Amino acid sequence: MGLDIKAIRADFPILDRVLPNGKKLVYFDNAATSQKPKVVIDAMSRYYEEYNSNAHRANHTLADEATTALEEARSKISRYFGTTPENMIYTSGATEAINLVAYGWARYNLQRDDVVVVTEMEHHADIVPWQELNKEKGIEVRYVPINSRTFTLDMEAFEVALEGAKLVCVVHTSNVLGIRNPVEEIIEKSQAIGARVLLDCAQGAPHERIFFDNMGADFVAISAHKMAGPTGIGCILVKPDAMAEMGPFMTGGSMIRRVSTNGTTFQEGHAMFETGTPRIAEAIGWGAAVEWLSQFDMREVHAHIHDISSWTADQMLEIPGIRVFGDPNHPKSSGAVSFLHDSIQSQDLAILLDEGGFAVRTGHHCAQPLMDALGVPSTNRASFWIYNTLDEAQAFVEHLRYVCERFA
Amino acid sequence: MAERRWPDHLDSVVEEFDDCFDSMERYELLFEYAKKHPSPLPPDEWNEDNQVHGCQSRAHVVCSRDELGNFLMRGGADAQIVQGLMSVTAMAVNGMRPNEVSQFSPDYADAMGIRNSLTPSRANGFLNMFERVRAEAERMV
Repeated sequence: MGLDIKAIRADFPILDRVLPNGKKLVYFDNAATSQKPKVVIDAMSRYYEEYNSNAHRANHTLADEATTALEEARSKISRYFGTTPENMIYTSGATEAINLVAYGWARYNLQRDDVVVVTEMEHHADIVPWQELNKEKGIEVRYVPINSRTFTLDMEAFEVALEGAKLVCVVHTSNVLGIRNPVEEIIEKSQAIGARVLLDCAQGAPHERIFFDNMGADFVAISAHKMAGPTGIGCILVKPDAMAEMGPFMTGGSMIRRVSTNGTTFQEGHAMFETGTPRIAEAIGWGAAVEWLSQFDMREVHAHIHDISSWTADQMLEIPGIRVFGDPNHPKSSGAVSFLHDSIQSQDLAILLDEGGFAVRTGHHCAQPLMDALGVPSTNRASFWIYNTLDEAQAFVEHLRYVCERFA
Repeated sequence: MAERRWPDHLDSVVEEFDDCFDSMERYELLFEYAKKHPSPLPPDEWNEDNQVHGCQSRAHVVCSRDELGNFLMRGGADAQIVQGLMSVTAMAVNGMRPNEVSQFSPDYADAMGIRNSLTPSRANGFLNMFERVRAEAERMV
């Protein structure tokens, strides 16, 4: 059964938004954050209106309801990602999730000259923590380049970089290129030499089902707000044997078991890493989001998005002066189409597209090493999701063509 | 009506923009203004010291006094919208006394109908550039 896009769009009140200039919103900035269906907004409002209370902290009815909802959300979210609640640590998002691996696992387990492999395709969030650990502990950071012709990872260079590595950190799907990396092969080759694997699935999770227990990665970082959930929450999924090697990253709040003037003992398992007051409303909202997403076959969702992005990229390439970065026609590419005009600067182009009601992203996309590899300071990026339509893409291409003809 | 704080000689520029048929025509006019910056700063003079930080595009500003001791703003940006606003700003402030420039308001950009040009995330290159010009003028007073 195909997706009923009209019904899906009806779940998102914001898609009816008319901008101050009278243009109807066409939202193509989904790789930055997705819109939220009404069930998510309602679940979060209901928590604040009916049972707002701190979780795990009291015996009164509201605290009990809040705690139950928080833990039910953990069950729903971990089930959606094909694992169990004890393998999931709530974080503020994918950035904190990766930092938790750096400071909660790598800092305890890596020594001077131990090798961490990352790629040029990573988001800054998966580069800078390793550079910081290089300064702090003397670990070696190796970068796998991209092939600038195919926009894919240079897998021969990967195999060279892998030698002696203790940890391999790879983005599942590039936020700039929409390229989906061969993560299965990367996991298999990394684990064959005993390296642990961290996957940044911030962009991958909105486009395909992640089944953590089956995929074999040791750590998987996920962000809620790119997959219909609220901002401010995400998680790191961790294999039990890797979690057993982790130590505290941040301290205080709900990760504490007992504090005395002689010292402190910590909670065990995921609770050791969840500091402060839990993100209760956000967890409830994310739980509602994965329930909402569960009604769809993500292969159909991927096919729908792929149809729009590959069509859009093909049409863009017909416009004189437009370059497209990535390979949107590759069957596994997903959602993001980065492009530049050779004479209209990217920020100008984004503003002129916004005048037509089209929301696209501009900049380095927190991936400056990738920009360096591409030889550009920034790109424009149109990114599509489940509720976008080919009609929107057609209107977008028409406006882009008009802007290019008028301003180039 | 809010108090207008741009110099009289900018009125004709503001009117020219106000007369545009729609926003696209206004941007087209702004692209034209980008080409007629009265005191451009060529890219080979762009450096870390004169870069205006915090914007998506590259923008550079150098402020000094001219031979009469009046304010002189030189500037350049890779985005034409920021460059156009820079041109208009230079037309406004060049030749003014530094104390006049330090009292200057960026409202003219809104009056020109460059929608949202004053919001932090939009043409933040413009706002940061404007604040830098004003701060440099204050230092000269």
